[in-house]
Amino acid sequence: MRALRYTGILPSLLMLVVVIALNARLQPHFFGLPSLEDNIATLTPTILVCLAQAVIVLSGELDLSVGAGVSLINCLLATVPISAVGGPWGLMGLALLLALALGAINGVIVTIFGLPSLIATFATAAVWFGLALALMPQPGGELDQSVGDLYSGTVSGVPVPLFIVAGALLIWTLLGRHRLGRRIVAVGSNPAAAFQAGISVLRVKLAAYLVGWLLVGLAAIAISAQTLSGDARVGDTYTLTSVAAVVIGGISLAGGRGTPWGALVGAIVLGIVSNVIYFAGIPSIWQEFFKGIVIMSALGFMVLEQKRAAVA
Amino acid sequence: MLSSPEGLPAAPPTDGEIAPPLLIARGITKHFGGVVALAGVDLTLRQGRVLGLLGANGSGKSTLSRIIAGELSSGGGEMHLAGAPLRHASPQDAARLGIVIAHQHPSLAPDMPVWENVFLGAELSYAGGFIDRAKARRRTTDVLSELGSRLDIAAPAGTLTAAGQQLVEIARALARKPRVLILDEPTAALAAAEVGHLFAAIRRLTEEGVSVIFISHRLAEIDTICDDILVMRNGRTAGAWTTSGRLDEGRILSLMTGDPDAVLREMGERRIGEPVLRLEGLRAGPAVRGVDLELRRSEIVGLAGLQGQGQVELLEAIAGDRRIDGGTLWHKDRAVSPRRPRDMINRGICLVPDDRRRQGLFSGETVGENIGYVLLALAPRPWRLPAEKLVALATRAIRRLLIKTDGPDQTVSALSGGNQQKVVIGKWLATDVEVMLLSDPTKGVDVHARSEIYAIIGELAQAGTAALVFASDVQELLLHCDRILVMYEGRIVEELSGDAMTEPRVMTAAFGKAAA
Repeated sequence: MRALRYTGILPSLLMLVVVIALNARLQPHFFGLPSLEDNIATLTPTILVCLAQAVIVLSGELDLSVGAGVSLINCLLATVPISAVGGPWGLMGLALLLALALGAINGVIVTIFGLPSLIATFATAAVWFGLALALMPQPGGELDQSVGDLYSGTVSGVPVPLFIVAGALLIWTLLGRHRLGRRIVAVGSNPAAAFQAGISVLRVKLAAYLVGWLLVGLAAIAISAQTLSGDARVGDTYTLTSVAAVVIGGISLAGGRGTPWGALVGAIVLGIVSNVIYFAGIPSIWQEFFKGIVIMSALGFMVLEQKRAAVA
Repeated sequence: MLSSPEGLPAAPPTDGEIAPPLLIARGITKHFGGVVALAGVDLTLRQGRVLGLLGANGSGKSTLSRIIAGELSSGGGEMHLAGAPLRHASPQDAARLGIVIAHQHPSLAPDMPVWENVFLGAELSYAGGFIDRAKARRRTTDVLSELGSRLDIAAPAGTLTAAGQQLVEIARALARKPRVLILDEPTAALAAAEVGHLFAAIRRLTEEGVSVIFISHRLAEIDTICDDILVMRNGRTAGAWTTSGRLDEGRILSLMTGDPDAVLREMGERRIGEPVLRLEGLRAGPAVRGVDLELRRSEIVGLAGLQGQGQVELLEAIAGDRRIDGGTLWHKDRAVSPRRPRDMINRGICLVPDDRRRQGLFSGETVGENIGYVLLALAPRPWRLPAEKLVALATRAIRRLLIKTDGPDQTVSALSGGNQQKVVIGKWLATDVEVMLLSDPTKGVDVHARSEIYAIIGELAQAGTAALVFASDVQELLLHCDRILVMYEGRIVEELSGDAMTEPRVMTAAFGKAAA
């Protein structure tokens, strides 16, 4: 219980219960297997990108280029012929390599060149988007069906997307017990203290970017497997969704405070909000409007809760 | 080159033998911008001995110890550890060589639990880097109990008291099994019993051959624990010797100040006038818990106490920079409830804030702009303010406060700390200051600038301004104030004036103990 209080995840859990209850009321057979599987497949990329953002935010930085990164990887996957890389696994390996490269670029700009991550990643986001457009001026292309089959299949009865999310969370949990993970939190919590404790702040932040972008790569694979086509704008909404999810999950934007579980909860809350609005029968023109209002309320609630907790 | 001593002896030396030097530093220099912090210090630390490092605030003790600990690079000079040249570039390098420091101001990761802070950067891990939590928790409990502490090792470090954080900082250093242990004012926030445990731990370490550099302002502590003494003044070694029997306090004080008379009180002729500011049970947040005080015209009142007892918050509350939750603030015979700094500035009550770079200055702007913006902010029609008037104001302030600068057009961040602080004070010269609130105005300021800043405060007081000064250094309050109020846990627990103003009495009250 005390651990829960220290992490500040309680208010977001409360929010999660509310949105799930709403969704269950509005969506027929919400708890039925087909709609659960469907929902999980849709939520997986969001969860992965939010976890990615969480690592980077915990280290005290921010990444506004994750969405554009997803788009760029997606466009690459849609243009590279699958025979050239030796099947679906080769394609996924390529995606992860590109993701690591993008993360390394962001990390180096932020750490070694010392640019503020807010501005630096805003700029690289434009670069990634530009490259994605160059690869694929119009949405289209076609991914091999084998990639989609992998994603929508099951491993001994467990749907693959659930497997991916579980894997990402496992990595996260291990990271939390690993030297590197704790150093990421330390660097975000107080970089001066980390430095004086003999930790290389630069290296740790760079590592945070690399770990984060590995997850971004996984998200891009998941999205590509679902759509089976390329679109230079497919990742657009993920950037700010991930930042909002991190805040809703009780992770401090100043770094150092929060848990991956918070990011998970935040991601699910935001994902389900879209669901709720869809099933509430709101005219499609107004859906974005209501989504914005709900996110704003959620953020407001979190900020008030954190203020209250800080005073107590 | 220094002659190289033979390797480390297997056993610590016994009495009578001269312990061989373990760490030697020669001619260490360091500049911060225009300020000379170290002007060539020599230090010799012997194996298994405790070296007491003394000096006034700003004499360079902390800078020297941070250089030895690899946190700062030295500007010149050379260091040898056990005969081998010491060229470490980071705290990590230093720790690998067994040099570890516990800072005066603990630098902890506030969101992480105590046990993780203790092993931060030196995690106890299994193969593959996974942290052995059980072992780290156990070892943390052990080290803390060696220090006589029973802190909750799962609590985030940020939730601890100042004493608790200090103990964690010390525990972290001990946990690294150092060869050279630097303790920078480790006892400043500790209670007497905790100091006793710390000293016992230091003795155990020295018996194992560990060498300790011990920095403290408390001569009694130096007397108890140190084998050798090094006194620093203005970034230089003023004297170094081995203690034998009682400590010669007079010698230390005169070496520290460079002038025995400087210890005498410096108070000009001032006629203390009628009350201008009175607080009754003032409360502000958790830090200020009911403060009564009275401040008179031309009076300089010191606010003392350990760090973090609400002094900074009290000054901010009076200045309208912090919400007042209860009690009354009287300005002359009117009760006022400030809602923003401007309310108080209009009454001539001005704050020289705690963190001059963040709260006191626009670092990228010029000296003239920094001095002038109060005038701009207060003028009813600032756009009609002639530029010459601002230049004249700045020039006057520069001359009156002896600010060392190329002129009003120099960027303020290029100035030394002391001169930056004078600019912070100088900006208030545009108004009639009735009450000047100063929060640690000489923090990070060299000795010379420090006395100039107090000279300015004295001058203002002579002209009728009342000053309320918080300083972390008791000596400087004893030197310059008419009265001293000691704060403890958000309240004023002692008021001292005249002959009662002595360091022991201030320190006793600072620990929340009733006067003997």
